Amino acid sequence: MDTKESVPGERMNNFTRRDFLKGVGMGGGALVLFGEFGVHSAAWALSGEPVLKMVLVDYANCTGCRTCETACSSRNRPASVGAKQLPGLGNPRYANIRVHGFNPDVDVPIVCAMCADAPCVRACPVEPERKSGRRALYRDRATRTIRNDVDRCLGCRSCAAACASKRTGTLAPNPETGKPERICTLCGGDPHCVKRCPFGALSYVEVRRGRKFYGLGPDKIAAQLAAGWYGTADFGGVR
Amino acid sequence: MSGKAGYHGKILNIDLSTGRSEAVAIPREDLDLFVGGQGLGMKILWDRLKKPGVDPLSPDNLLIFMPGPFSGFPVPSSSRTCVVTKSPITAPLKSDYPHASTVTYSNMGGFFGPEIRFAGYDGVVVTGKAKVLSYIVIDDGKVEIREATKFKGMRTDPFDKAILAELGDRRFKTVYIGPAGEHLVPYSSIIHTAGRAAGRGGAGCVMGSKNLKAIAVRGSGQPGVADHAGFLAALEKARAALYGTAYAKSWAEQGTARAIVGNSNAGTEAVRNYREGTFLEADKIGGDAARRDVWVKDIACYCCPLACKKSGVTRGKYGGVVHDGPEYETGVMLGSNLMISDMPGLLKAITTLDDLGLDQISTGNVIGFLMEAYEKGMIDRKFLDGIDLRWGSVDATLAMIEKIAARDGVGRLAAKGVAALSREIGQGSEKFAIQVKGLELAAHNIQANQPRGLSYVTASRGACHMSGDDIPMQNRRAMLDSTGMCFFPTFEPALEEPMLALLSAITGREYDKAEFEKIGERIFNLEKMFNYREGFRREDDRLPDRFFEDAFTVGPKKGAVLDRTRFEAMLTRYYKDRGWDPETTKPGAAKLKELGLDLL
Repeated sequence: MDTKESVPGERMNNFTRRDFLKGVGMGGGALVLFGEFGVHSAAWALSGEPVLKMVLVDYANCTGCRTCETACSSRNRPASVGAKQLPGLGNPRYANIRVHGFNPDVDVPIVCAMCADAPCVRACPVEPERKSGRRALYRDRATRTIRNDVDRCLGCRSCAAACASKRTGTLAPNPETGKPERICTLCGGDPHCVKRCPFGALSYVEVRRGRKFYGLGPDKIAAQLAAGWYGTADFGGVR
Repeated sequence: MSGKAGYHGKILNIDLSTGRSEAVAIPREDLDLFVGGQGLGMKILWDRLKKPGVDPLSPDNLLIFMPGPFSGFPVPSSSRTCVVTKSPITAPLKSDYPHASTVTYSNMGGFFGPEIRFAGYDGVVVTGKAKVLSYIVIDDGKVEIREATKFKGMRTDPFDKAILAELGDRRFKTVYIGPAGEHLVPYSSIIHTAGRAAGRGGAGCVMGSKNLKAIAVRGSGQPGVADHAGFLAALEKARAALYGTAYAKSWAEQGTARAIVGNSNAGTEAVRNYREGTFLEADKIGGDAARRDVWVKDIACYCCPLACKKSGVTRGKYGGVVHDGPEYETGVMLGSNLMISDMPGLLKAITTLDDLGLDQISTGNVIGFLMEAYEKGMIDRKFLDGIDLRWGSVDATLAMIEKIAARDGVGRLAAKGVAALSREIGQGSEKFAIQVKGLELAAHNIQANQPRGLSYVTASRGACHMSGDDIPMQNRRAMLDSTGMCFFPTFEPALEEPMLALLSAITGREYDKAEFEKIGERIFNLEKMFNYREGFRREDDRLPDRFFEDAFTVGPKKGAVLDRTRFEAMLTRYYKDRGWDPETTKPGAAKLKELGLDLL
């Protein structure tokens, strides 16, 4: 992939919702910004809702150790021990963050990008509930994370397909039920992957759509990184 | 199956001759007495190779892939897989059995051991021989043997990509051999992630003898633990002992490559086929130079906060992607030991060896021996198929590597190792054929380091630098390599207490320092019993004459040489302290009873 295409200019790298609103306020700039970010981002920016936050990866510092997977799993898949709920043993199968390893060595942790326009939610075919307006998949008002109402979910895999074709592809249908898994919970505002990363490669930040690699899938990110680091992006055609 | 916390309680047996596989229960007692990894692997080998002298390359040999009780849990640096088998490269001086050889165990980092545990097993044992080149796919409870003939001869880097493309999911963890293993070079390695190796002792050769190109594993489970809250608390402490410490950072900075200059300065490096302990050009191939010119990424194994693996890229004639290196062993064996100081050339040799699936240490040692024999006029260019094998020549080294992997021409003989080479060449070359029991020495030179000499001669797999320089160290290492944890973080003293607490919480069995060492002693003694049964005696625990005759001529340890009388006295004391007969090295009845090995 051509670097220029996927990486908006410097100006965009530090672009926040406040900047967006400022841009809109200045009139003419708004059209340009609408063009780059899409109408749904604009709707989000103008909605007055709280800022979205996400887990950001510094790929240069990621060593591929997968401690983040175990920390995520431990926090989000607690275990019942006697009468108590305790953090789990960190089986990476249940992690919402997943490190994709490549040859040559590039490691790309993929986690929910907290998309303002949430293509996964928009792809959900379940009739919105009258009172809450929620489909089976929805954005939680309090945590600002995506959640799935398992009882109403049809297991149709539309959300995962939308995530895979439009964004990071983190959402994965459960092999048996088809219902989406690997939805980041942000651990109640204290993401354990960030806290446990031994190399400081993860941080908890405000979503900025113009940020380099934002919303891309692992193969695209890995190809760009490998080309820069090793002068090759030949991974042998593995999906 | 065993109902024991911390384990699945089962081993996956795969017989390539019949194509059948089954999960079998591990006796609970074996988990208590031998733990996992190197120890449990040894116990399985002992139980199932009932008689001595089994041909290591016959279908009867076992190829055992062992994680440990830490594997599959997020215990820092618990990424290791121990491959246990009967060695295809070692041999005693005298034996009643034509195929007598030692046990061998080769330990690698990465992601394979944890994945075996995710798939629901505490180990995988491969026996038999497939009719055609094959690979095994283990997907949780499903086991399949597939044909691999289309991959025949494929080098490990392209194969690493090709096998994942075929499997269609990067979450599969794979191990595989290169052309050298297929050609049954006795010191072939097993490669994982294109740049990690179970290199020492010829496990890749045994894999080749089974017509097994690769194993792929993917799993979704995890064993339970005995004390959940205790596990979580000890895990916090273990992380705190390592995370963000200067100790951890020093590993991330240079990995083992720091010692390329450090050991040269200390006079303990293998230089010019162990003739010297100091390489005057070490700085050209050391960690600082690599950080400046080569490395682009620090890479870690599963849940490791050290990140000692370095990947990078070189340019020019020898340019290309570097999966790992130089590390200490690879950098010295192909660098200092061959007087090669050209960094891209060195890395080309290292990368080529992994690509072909050859043990870096044995290969570097073999080429060093040939360079010396060539310099001394004991062999000529015709013997070397026209290769001008001079000290420092990258091109000649690369040519020889290809010959060895293909077992072509001079490579047929060189592939057998330095013991066989020196027997063929004669002329007193045994003196500088740097091996013990047939296994080549590693990159630590010993004229100025007698304790490391003890490690080389008493290690169970032949000349091993990792075995330990004294009895307590040997016992601790044998135990550590049975847990799934890496050796590198354990230099940090603050890790010891939480590590023991984790082991106790996982297994529900109390481990203190003494018990940890005691189990290691049991494992080490069982290895010794195996080797003794094969015919290894005290005369096999011997170093080449070079170390007693050729004093260093350069560096801070100039003049250093081992004293034979002192060395033999140290050995005699060692056997006595071990409770072994100093004449024969036979483990004494009292010691075996103490360790619970008397009934085996």
